[in-house]
Amino acid sequence: MIRRANLGVDGNLMTPDGLSHLMRRVAQRDRSAFAKVYQATSAKLYGIVLRILRRRDIADEVLQEVYVKIWERAAHFDSERASPISWMATIARNRALDEVRRKQPVSIEDHPEVQDCASDDETALAAVMRSEDGRRLAECLKRLEPDRRQMVVFAYCEGLSRDELAKKYGQPVNTIKTWLRRSLAQLKGCLGP
Amino acid sequence: MTDENEIDGLAGEYVLGTLDVGEHASVKARRQREPALDAAITDWERRLAPLIETTLPTVPPITLFAKIEARINSANFSPVGNATIIDLGRRVKFWRATALIASALAASLVVAIGVHEFGPKPKQQNLVAVLQKDATSPAFLVTVNIDDRVMTVRPVAAKPQPGKSYELWLVQDSLGAPKSLGVIDEHQAMQRPTLAAYKRDVIESATFAVSLEPEGGSPTGEPTGPVVFAGKLIPTGN
Repeated sequence: MIRRANLGVDGNLMTPDGLSHLMRRVAQRDRSAFAKVYQATSAKLYGIVLRILRRRDIADEVLQEVYVKIWERAAHFDSERASPISWMATIARNRALDEVRRKQPVSIEDHPEVQDCASDDETALAAVMRSEDGRRLAECLKRLEPDRRQMVVFAYCEGLSRDELAKKYGQPVNTIKTWLRRSLAQLKGCLGP
Repeated sequence: MTDENEIDGLAGEYVLGTLDVGEHASVKARRQREPALDAAITDWERRLAPLIETTLPTVPPITLFAKIEARINSANFSPVGNATIIDLGRRVKFWRATALIASALAASLVVAIGVHEFGPKPKQQNLVAVLQKDATSPAFLVTVNIDDRVMTVRPVAAKPQPGKSYELWLVQDSLGAPKSLGVIDEHQAMQRPTLAAYKRDVIESATFAVSLEPEGGSPTGEPTGPVVFAGKLIPTGN
């Protein structure tokens, strides 16, 4: 599956191993390796921060900070513990979530150019299922009730707070919290530690 | 076990991104000194990581990589003795820009939570502390809006220490042991509501101290490494 890997700068497929190798060079302060990592991952990370922040100007700023952090922390990346892309995605999501929590939410209607993601359950699960871990997660997500599954996927992707989910789903905030906590407990029970 | 479930639920929601501004900041600060919470967060990051596949890739503006390289170049300080000398002029421009953004963010934060929790304030007083080793080597700037207890920490010339984190502490006689204000970032300005728990006169008379801790912060909740920078608040006249 060609979609499974990220396309590198010269059109070569960038495998997780290839990316891990590049990250080791980045840790040695290799600028050309850093440029290749950027080429291979920036569209993914930009998609992640843009989806949460919904504003290109803020997402541009945040993405710069994310890559500066990746450069600074490359030596701490451990390929035994996480794939390079999930390590980078965690940095990107954390930074975007910090940012979105500091300002008032921006309405999606204000920025229609940002595409909805994962609104279609089947598409979302199929996307997740590309790796071994993803298949397990998708199996466990399928055991949740459809609306709760959608809420988990949606919350992760959009970084919506309980308040925002409450408005979207027309439920009291406490109900949303209960649903989220139960869904998480169910997922953990299914996935294991 | 209820406690464990609560920690796990909170960690899961932190990773999902569903906590509100106060809870999110509180969990972020707590994970620095609560290893169980930190481990639960790491586990949830791993469990949910495949969901990043649901986000569609979007190509960023073509000019962005050059900006990133410029930032990396300007962050490459050259150490001289114990102090760190950097191109201050360039950094000052950067702070002015960040200060503008930070005050805009502060304003929106006040709108978002301040109005409900504190009510409108007739006037706001800002205090600033320069945290330094000596007069020639400022490392961090701490700005405190004393009315809202919102603290902004801006790096000046703090040099990254591989495998170590800078942690900020509030030190004042009435507090007993130093109180952690969380791990601070040597690369970017950050804003924290972590002073909310302290009285005005305590904050105004306290020393802000930065210690060098293992990565992620002190494992014990008290400073374990050397204090590398310190300073006290002075009014900015704003």
